[in-house]
Amino acid sequence: MNNSLEERIEQIKMANATQRMNFFGRLLVDNREMSLWEHDTKLLSWGVRRWRRKALKFAREYIRPLATEADLHPHDYDPKPILSAAARQGFQTMLLTPPLGTASILPYYRNTVFQLAVIGEEFATECGGLTLLLLAHNLGVAPLLLSGSLRNILGQMIPFYLKSYILGRPDCMAFAITEPGAGSDVEETEGGALAKLVTTAKHAPEKGGYILNGRKCFISDGAIADKVTVFAKLENEGIESWTCFLVERGMQGFSVGRSERKLGQRASDASELIFDNVFIPNKNVVGKLRSGWAINRNVLNYSRPVVGAMALGHGRGAFERCLEFCRKTYLGPKHLIEYQDVQLELADMAMSLWAARSMIWHSCRQFRCYQSASASAKVFASDTAFKVCNQAMELMGDHGYLHAHGVERAWRDARLTQIYEGTNQINRLALFEHHLSTDFKV
Amino acid sequence: MEKEPVTNICAEDIVHYQDLARQYSRKSINPIFEGEYSDGNLSLLQEKLKTAFDIGIAAAPDESLSGCQYGVWGGAIDETGIIPSSLILSTIAETCGGVAMCLNAQGVASNLILQAKRKLTFIPVKVAVGLQEGFCPPFLGTITSPDKDDPAKSMTTAVQKGNNYIINGSKSFVYSMSGVDAYVVFACVGEKWGCFLVEAKGKGIEKTDVGVRTGLRACCVEHVKFNNVQIPLEARLDDGDARSLLIRAMSLNWMGMAAIAVGIARGAAAAARKYAAERYQGGMQIEEHPAVKMLIAGGESSIASADATLYSMQNGPLATFSGLKKSATAKLTVVDLCSRAVTDCLQSFGGYGYMEDYGMEKRLRDVTVLKSASGSPVYLKQLIFDIEKEGAL
Repeated sequence: MNNSLEERIEQIKMANATQRMNFFGRLLVDNREMSLWEHDTKLLSWGVRRWRRKALKFAREYIRPLATEADLHPHDYDPKPILSAAARQGFQTMLLTPPLGTASILPYYRNTVFQLAVIGEEFATECGGLTLLLLAHNLGVAPLLLSGSLRNILGQMIPFYLKSYILGRPDCMAFAITEPGAGSDVEETEGGALAKLVTTAKHAPEKGGYILNGRKCFISDGAIADKVTVFAKLENEGIESWTCFLVERGMQGFSVGRSERKLGQRASDASELIFDNVFIPNKNVVGKLRSGWAINRNVLNYSRPVVGAMALGHGRGAFERCLEFCRKTYLGPKHLIEYQDVQLELADMAMSLWAARSMIWHSCRQFRCYQSASASAKVFASDTAFKVCNQAMELMGDHGYLHAHGVERAWRDARLTQIYEGTNQINRLALFEHHLSTDFKV
Repeated sequence: MEKEPVTNICAEDIVHYQDLARQYSRKSINPIFEGEYSDGNLSLLQEKLKTAFDIGIAAAPDESLSGCQYGVWGGAIDETGIIPSSLILSTIAETCGGVAMCLNAQGVASNLILQAKRKLTFIPVKVAVGLQEGFCPPFLGTITSPDKDDPAKSMTTAVQKGNNYIINGSKSFVYSMSGVDAYVVFACVGEKWGCFLVEAKGKGIEKTDVGVRTGLRACCVEHVKFNNVQIPLEARLDDGDARSLLIRAMSLNWMGMAAIAVGIARGAAAAARKYAAERYQGGMQIEEHPAVKMLIAGGESSIASADATLYSMQNGPLATFSGLKKSATAKLTVVDLCSRAVTDCLQSFGGYGYMEDYGMEKRLRDVTVLKSASGSPVYLKQLIFDIEKEGAL
């Protein structure tokens, strides 16, 4: 009865108070001391859990040491070692299962890209640019898989996968849809129908292929890619004739133009690709002729949850570094983390991230990714990540905008996720469009 | 009793200040951005800032310079109110937030020196003031009394020794034009604040650049340490208690930052409107797309609200706690509104907004720094609550 305040507080802490319950009551209380990350990891199936742990380890061992310099001096670092390391560990061949790829089998057949989304979050926690460098490659590969064409899968995807995983010498691939005059147009139905597209393929039956002319812009990994899946309309036809072609480095007439200077994700290039009478043999047509628009839209359906997960990673990176700052920094006699207003902000950030993760994981609960779930996950996660990065910067006061702390880098990286893979406005319309004949019937 | 600023400012004056700032932006700042990089060619900056002194936009404590009275936060603000300085800052920030921040920092420090109660033996031109130590500016308890641990007391001290003061301590995140002649330093003298003019080249001063930053890169930011710095008694600017000077400095700084945020947002909105009228998507100009209209209109309305908040400050007394509360509120709300406006306007550019080409990413970087700099939202909320709770101190 005469206990001090401290003693009373100690007694009513949940772990101690639980001891006063009966045995069955105690069994129903989860008092495990476990981090948020560990709690979430334990929700995953064995295969995905293994990749999550492996990705976290890779991110800390390979991405973290390179992140600051790659952001400050993106032209002065060599991306090949990290690409090779990722390939050797199986991160570059996640779109197929063993023996041809590396994705865990059971989770892959529950959802094709869930494991990539989990990996994307871990990588992006350390650096957005290097994550994009490693993951944009999957975007380049995806049309080969999603075309459903055995010719492309067996002839182009599998040899490349085997070379990548067995020899650790990956070819890097890129995905090229955006044109200087058509950004959002190629990501939305009505815009697509009205788009002024320039990149055109002319049939050349005498040569056994197509002649490609035009240009693409903002292509992630464009400057370093060995192969690019390029979308072009056929001569004298509109976007409904869009066809996907596999263009290889070294093909005559194919060159890389300017690399953009970006706000963030600077370790990965965003380049202009120029096609000047590039001859593409028939075997490099991906899928059927005129199936390009559908392949493109479906690639976006599969990539958007991963982009959302990358955004989540940026937010988590900012949160973790801010948390560390609050642990170390004193305000008067106490650390920042001991102040209740700081605790409220940190808790709010953690909850926002948790909500975004739940949405991304929920969007990956069926084998085929679908438009509305993918678009919603991408929009919610990227908006949340940007909000969390802003909160982290603000909480750190003037320290928030210093590059050395890494929070402002995450903030810059996160801002791009609201723009690429369709701006968040386009993604909102994608949700609406998908359910136009059901929920949103006019 | 502090003199309240006069409320009236005529339309002609407003046009005059805006014209002056626009001409300076066009002739002096725009050439900095003719190169490829979005932060401009900063090697040209010092020469352009010199022009700001020549035409009287930059305030200076030196009465022989034209900006002494009518430059940004010059000596005349007690008569003219804050609108002229706010107009100049926001107009310049439409082109470059960093240059505006230079003028703001210079103005705040100059204004303090112009309040000096005694004749100074040394009159500097370029000056800066350090308002925070460590993590953030002082909280209410510490503003009231610098030795009060509420939650963190001032660690910078000034001790009288013969005909000199000996200053020890440090100031963090000191914004300036770079290459300043002197610092205005607030230090604990017993239980009261003292305000001192310290020559930048004096013995015992150690300056460290804060390193790579997100934005406002035209403005120099450094940490300054004072190790047994000896200054004459005449270099003390206050007459025994510098609390009102500290409040004045904090108020002016925040109002200036709010004005800069408004300018950055206005620049972003103008750029977005221009781009939306030029860029075609889906077979028509993007300004015809509702998604783009919503973004730009949202930005414009945020700017209008921010403008109204800022200019409601015209009548506020500068060096009282109620004035401090108002300026803290202005910084908190105006910068937040403006940063939303900038990010919305950037979004209307799609991928080009993220690239350096249109300067939108620079605007976003600049306005975001303003949110965290010299008082984060959490700090400002705490201060506003404390002032309200303590009533009319």
